[in-house]
Amino acid sequence: MSACTPVEMITYTGSRILEDNKTVFVGTGLPMIAAMHAQLTHAPGLGMIFEAGALSPVLDMGLPMSVGDTRACRKACYLKGLCAVFELTQRGHVDYAFIGGAQIDCYGNVNSTFEGGSYSKPRTRFPGSGGAGVMAANCEKTIIIMALEKRRFVEKLNFLTSIGFGDGSPGYREKAGVMGSGPYRVITHEGLFGFDPQSKKMMLLEIAPGKTPEQIQEKASFALRISPELKPMLEPTAEDLRLLRHVCDPQGYFLARKMN
Amino acid sequence: MNSKSSNGLQFNCVKTDKKTKQAFEWWGPAPSAARKIAVRKSKALIDKRVSLKAAVSRYIKDAITIGIGGFVNTRVPVALVHEIIRQGAKDLTLAFQSNSICAELLAGAMLLYPRHVSVRRVELAWWGYEVIGIAPLLRHLAGKGMIQLDDYTNYGMSARFKAAAMGLDFIPVRDHGGSDMEHVNRGLMVSSPFTGKNTYLVPACYPDVGLLHVTAADVYGNCRIFGALCTCPEIALASAYSIVSTEQMISNESIRTYPNLTEIPYLAVDALVEQPFGAYPGVCYGNYWFDMAHIQMFRDASEEFRKSGNQDPLKKYYEDYIFGCETFDAFLNKIPREVFEKIKQLDGGQPIIVE
Repeated sequence: MSACTPVEMITYTGSRILEDNKTVFVGTGLPMIAAMHAQLTHAPGLGMIFEAGALSPVLDMGLPMSVGDTRACRKACYLKGLCAVFELTQRGHVDYAFIGGAQIDCYGNVNSTFEGGSYSKPRTRFPGSGGAGVMAANCEKTIIIMALEKRRFVEKLNFLTSIGFGDGSPGYREKAGVMGSGPYRVITHEGLFGFDPQSKKMMLLEIAPGKTPEQIQEKASFALRISPELKPMLEPTAEDLRLLRHVCDPQGYFLARKMN
Repeated sequence: MNSKSSNGLQFNCVKTDKKTKQAFEWWGPAPSAARKIAVRKSKALIDKRVSLKAAVSRYIKDAITIGIGGFVNTRVPVALVHEIIRQGAKDLTLAFQSNSICAELLAGAMLLYPRHVSVRRVELAWWGYEVIGIAPLLRHLAGKGMIQLDDYTNYGMSARFKAAAMGLDFIPVRDHGGSDMEHVNRGLMVSSPFTGKNTYLVPACYPDVGLLHVTAADVYGNCRIFGALCTCPEIALASAYSIVSTEQMISNESIRTYPNLTEIPYLAVDALVEQPFGAYPGVCYGNYWFDMAHIQMFRDASEEFRKSGNQDPLKKYYEDYIFGCETFDAFLNKIPREVFEKIKQLDGGQPIIVE
């Protein structure tokens, strides 16, 4: 089995932090694969929720290509529409949000709306919030996947699409009227981040083997906190890689892609 | 009501004073106007079947708000959108949560044939192709400042349709607050009259016309939907008028045998079009999966236009598949038969109750 790629490292790490007997709201791509891997290994009781309306489907026809497609609905326990599943998040039934985006700041706020220019005339318009803004607001804990690059780990977002800890001030989320506790983990292939409970700033918790905190800091535009108990990131075993490559995403739709 | 800044959150990336300065206006019908339209309709159980052409020419006018059903590539009303492009409509407002090909088809028509089709503004949560990539024509239109966008979350848009389906002006939601959508969209932060806590309100969204594609319907327009419902029932009930295309017809007896399975009642349907493969190249649970290659082909032509300005491949798509077809069936006839066999097989024959 060849060595694990950056995308596989991210997906495996995503799987590793999902606990058994919880629910996770997943988007298309790596979050789905991470949740599938978790179900196949340490978290058989993990329930997946897809925003088009499915709660706890059985992904026995392969990887869905869309959160609304047939594969994402099959053998679900409950299959309604967007209102029904997002209302489960407002009500407190959903433990994890699993989102991505184009930029993140030190407080775990995420941009997926535009970059450069202005809101009415953006240099690069992205698809928009989709489910990310509501997942980050109302799932209990938010997990964010991001490529570790200076242009993505930014001092200031061009647009705040998905709420994290805002400006880090106490009570920001409560004043915003959102229900979840906020950002929990940020996953990159070279470092796993959490948030300092006091300052609400991003903190390096685990680091990929062979990397130094200085090398990680080089790739972020803001000053990273480093956990006093910094740990090495676990790497997937040969069995984990077999599951990822041959069971979860055998066509390589997502795992064969490069980080962009 | 408190002003926009009532939550006391000063942290925002986007500076805009748009919200506090502009009085709210309904883009589609006001709730009272939408109600009046419903009140005046005949409530008779009548056969609502019409041709695709007749449905679109009767209800689609310039400067209206169109609510688009489905979700991204799922059960999207492609046949209805093709017909709208064939007949033409200008100054449209589009309203949807997440969409791919329907929104891109309208955007491409606007770029190639601006005197025939144009979109003025879009109320949305997300516009893209998921696994296939970003939406090139959205990126082009937005980057050139050619359309006004009004951004919400997927729940925000769904709740806005739900509020309209409930006959309300607005609905409280627990998202958007503390994000920059709060500063650019048409929602409003207020204090809850009961707890005093900050609560975000989104305005109801009443489309003039809703476009939906469903699994099955009886002649009166009672609709069954299998797979994810997306926000289709809410959009149908929110809209002043709804045009529904259906994969197949079922008997009223079947509807009455399983009334719990009716997701859209006949009262919310004005025109019904029997159109097998009406969501193609999108997916329709129990019937067919996506045609990824076809979506990719259209997206490639769109991407080439965005990157190089070369209109030819995109124009060819519209000429071959939309303007060169009298009906949606004529379009389907241009797709190789094996494609339909393959996408039916990829569906895996999901169980649906259609008789």
